[in-house]
Amino acid sequence: MSFVQNVPFFSIILSMFSGIVSSMLPAKAARWVNTCLIVAVGLMSGILLVYLTNTGEPFVYWMGHFPAPWGNEIRAGVLEAGMALFFCLIMFLSMIGGRRQLADEVAENRQNLYYILVDLLLSSLLALVYTNDLFTAYVFVEINTIAACGLIMIRQIGRTFEAALRYMIMSLLGSGLFLISLCMLYDLTGHLLMSNIKESVALLVAQQEYTVPLMTTIGLLCAGLAIKSALFPFHSWLPDAYGYSTVSSAAMLSSLVSKGYIFLLIKIFYRVIGFEIIAQSKIINVLFIFGLLGMIFGSMSAIQENDIRRMIAFSSVAQIGYIYMGFGLGTEAGMTASIFHIFSHAATKSLLFVAAVGLTDVSKGRREFIELTGSAYRNKMAGIAFTVGCLSMVGVPMFSGFVSKLLFAEASIGHAHKMLPAVLVLALSTILNAIYFMKTVIRIYVPDYRSDCKTITVKNQKVYALTLLCFMVLNVALGMLSKPIENWIHSGLAMFG
Amino acid sequence: MFGPNLFTNYGEAVSVILFVIGFSNLLMQKNLIKKIIGLNIMDTAVYLFLAEKGYIRDRVAPIVVDGVQEVEAYINPVPSGLVLTGIVVSVSVTAIMLSLTIRLYRRYHTLDLDEISMLLKKEGR
Amino acid sequence: MREAVTILLPVVLPALAGILLLAAKEPERKGVITWYTGAVLVATAVLVAVCVVSVNVPVTFFYLLDQVPVCFAPDHMGKVFALVVTLVWVPAGFFSFSYLKGGKKQKRFYGFYLIVYGILNALNFAGNLVTFYVFYELMTLLSMPLVLHEQTREAVMAGLKYLFYSFCGAYMALFGLYVVWHHSGTFVFTERGTLDPSLVSGNEGILLLAACFLLLGFSVKAGMFPMHGWLPVAHPVAPAPASAVLSGLIVKGGVLGMIRVIFYTFGADFLRGSWVQTLFLTLALITVFMGSMLAYLEKGLKKRLAYSTVSQVSYILFGLFLLAPAGLTGSLLHVIFHACIKSCLFLCAGAVIRQTGKQCVDELTGIGKEMPVTMWCFAICSLALIGIPPASGFISKWYLCVGAFDAGIPVVSWLGPVVLLVSALLTAGYLLPIVIRGFFPGQDYDYAVCKRREGSAFLVVPVVLLAAIALVGGMVTGGLTGYLSDLAGQLL
Repeated sequence: MSFVQNVPFFSIILSMFSGIVSSMLPAKAARWVNTCLIVAVGLMSGILLVYLTNTGEPFVYWMGHFPAPWGNEIRAGVLEAGMALFFCLIMFLSMIGGRRQLADEVAENRQNLYYILVDLLLSSLLALVYTNDLFTAYVFVEINTIAACGLIMIRQIGRTFEAALRYMIMSLLGSGLFLISLCMLYDLTGHLLMSNIKESVALLVAQQEYTVPLMTTIGLLCAGLAIKSALFPFHSWLPDAYGYSTVSSAAMLSSLVSKGYIFLLIKIFYRVIGFEIIAQSKIINVLFIFGLLGMIFGSMSAIQENDIRRMIAFSSVAQIGYIYMGFGLGTEAGMTASIFHIFSHAATKSLLFVAAVGLTDVSKGRREFIELTGSAYRNKMAGIAFTVGCLSMVGVPMFSGFVSKLLFAEASIGHAHKMLPAVLVLALSTILNAIYFMKTVIRIYVPDYRSDCKTITVKNQKVYALTLLCFMVLNVALGMLSKPIENWIHSGLAMFG
Repeated sequence: MFGPNLFTNYGEAVSVILFVIGFSNLLMQKNLIKKIIGLNIMDTAVYLFLAEKGYIRDRVAPIVVDGVQEVEAYINPVPSGLVLTGIVVSVSVTAIMLSLTIRLYRRYHTLDLDEISMLLKKEGR
Repeated sequence: MREAVTILLPVVLPALAGILLLAAKEPERKGVITWYTGAVLVATAVLVAVCVVSVNVPVTFFYLLDQVPVCFAPDHMGKVFALVVTLVWVPAGFFSFSYLKGGKKQKRFYGFYLIVYGILNALNFAGNLVTFYVFYELMTLLSMPLVLHEQTREAVMAGLKYLFYSFCGAYMALFGLYVVWHHSGTFVFTERGTLDPSLVSGNEGILLLAACFLLLGFSVKAGMFPMHGWLPVAHPVAPAPASAVLSGLIVKGGVLGMIRVIFYTFGADFLRGSWVQTLFLTLALITVFMGSMLAYLEKGLKKRLAYSTVSQVSYILFGLFLLAPAGLTGSLLHVIFHACIKSCLFLCAGAVIRQTGKQCVDELTGIGKEMPVTMWCFAICSLALIGIPPASGFISKWYLCVGAFDAGIPVVSWLGPVVLLVSALLTAGYLLPIVIRGFFPGQDYDYAVCKRREGSAFLVVPVVLLAAIALVGGMVTGGLTGYLSDLAGQLL
């Protein structure tokens, strides 16, 4: 066994441990620990990614000394390692980009709590990415929920409490469904490890036994995770939670937390149920329909929204709809498109949140569009970054959004029955996206030289500007280097097998 | 088709019914405390389900006494382990929910979530 | 490798130069910017010429996805468009040196002016639909600042409208693009189409729909009814040189897109006789008439010219959809001539507005006495646009009418020429009065207030140059017409 294979376990335990240590540290030290942790985990995941790409073989890591049917396992392939790396990258940028707001919005004595929560969030995300055991996944899903809830309400105003409560309720509904379905799956197959369940499920399907209970269970499993990842119509908590929490929370919630659940769902598709079985079932049709509805209604709500942060949040609903539509196609190409969209959306959405804060900062903290008039002139870097994010979301070539749209379309064009609805909704939702994002871009570039608002130049906030620059580079890189990334997703999916 | 199965597996049937009751309470109750109770019913239903699945008639928990080591003497310990873990999780989640509820109650003097939303809108923040 | 560099240079040089200009600090002396811009414009023009002469093979740069290459393939069609762009872009650029003198934000204007030039070169050389689409979108985005330049409320709203229409169009096109891509055999523009017959059979319906969407999408840029709404709003608010290139060249981006779709992707045979052809012929004829009519009713000088663009570009589209060699030849001729004529008209209007501040048609009485050179150019271009021999518009319209007869489509073969003729009369109706009243102000004109207001050389020379092309193009057309009809023959 190579030493590199310790990385998954080590990064999970390291994040948990840093969380515990941070509880005894002052805020500044906790922040330092947190930054180091994210960088360290990112580096380790990078090394793991290189290692796995070279070997070309996924590996299984025993937790404890018990072999397969009994013990707990961690499993890593290129997709897992890449996901971990990407999560660290986004988390790092979001934390740095939102640092100043954090200092303003969170009381001094609570700031170290924030870093503890982020450490915990990272550890649970890593566990969700790497684990090979369904019950472990459940436990970390709950830890993830708790950490996310903390991230929302760390900014102590009424709105965030309400948002956190709504978030909790929806999440608990989702994890309740996840829990009962996993117990039923355990009941049906007698296993908790993903690979073992898959064998048993394949056997059950081959013998055509327990078809109805099995399908019900899988359906509940998907429903649970869909609720947790805010698929339309379970998105009611989302605009408040993303709109009023402090900015790095919003960025991480939208680009990491929901994506963690979606990644878990992908793993369940491939590693627990088997992609063939899920592709033939009716469940993906349901996901497909809700995905399409989300794409349209999310954008419609975003158009009506008058608050920039909430608008971005509603756009998340639409983007999650895209991802589920890709699942719903039930083809390898659809999955590839969805996974690419996870990356592209995570990179873009966190950029938008961080940039939007730069714009509201120079508009007396107000988020209504009318107040944001001309804010791009007052904070040039944020204006440019926001525009780049919007262009990417709308799907302008050269940016990441275009490639994911291209992939979605390519996946749906070949499809026998779902081609027409998918392509039509894709076109419609793109136009809707264009409407509200372009409206915002125009709004922030309408000249309005107000003297009563402060201006922020790059020199004032070097770190912030640098973060935005990194985000933009990431976005363009995803848009331009799409071919290697696509190949890499393919090899990752093959390693799931 | 379902008849005999349902009857023999009445424990599971009860737990699923309980789960649905808890689920719908958590989803539809307006009162926050009732929601939390719903949450607990839901979780407990799952534990009942697990316990029911884990129990095998005429066997005991796998604690080795009197030197009996055959597998046939004991029940499967994994479901019980799952129940224990699950309880820990649900306790912590309930604690968070309760603390949030207390916060909101102190601020808005009501337990009705919709009313709180309305008050928030009035606050205009 | 040599080809790759030769193609990339005319794209990258102006784009980089523009970005550099945008990023640079405002220089002490304003003259530096104009010298810099002028040098880059000339250098790029030379590079385009070199590229047109020396490159004939497609060059693939990188793959966006599997089977989605980004490639450039300068074929005859692309070269014709590239030369037209250069022919107009450079004079209009020089015109702006004087036009914008003393204005604000010159650096930004010239920066984007250069970048869009590079993008247009890339658009013309694009070797497949995806590459074309990529640069088409970039063209929309980067030409936005030209529309927004004045930063008045009106300009911003116009920019918004421009962006809305363009994006909606582009996404319609994108929908068609996905479908076509799936049914294509090769991924480089090929004469007579890239469709793979084995994939096409049985899917004709969806492919026709895709064609319709693609063409509708590109027709937004070309200002065809019913998606013409942005054009008369957006073109006039830009500074005159920008309106000139927007109206003369950027709309031709849409035309090129449609040519690429009809002749290089689907192939004329696939569309001939289909409902798509009928639909677009009808729409084009409606637009030809409606554009002229609206121009006739419009009082603002630049706005009238913008409506005229709506009408004239649909002449081109009408010729395309005839799917007949003569019609296509007429269209291509009109692309060239209209680019020169309309830019020249806009530049004249710009010169008038800059020198006199008069924006409305009714105020222009006696303008010919004040700015004789400019107004003579305006007169020549008006005659060319109406299609009075020997000026250039006559040739292209002649071919269009011949094409309409040749195509033998019922109703259209006689209705087409009639509509073209009526529209030509309307064109005379909305352009000639300006000229007539400009030169013959009537008896109550007070000659005492009249003084020479002709602008500097930068304002006059480009206008004269373009007017000369518009005039000479109609007289010495042998080689050009022969070349274009050969090109049309290969496509049909």
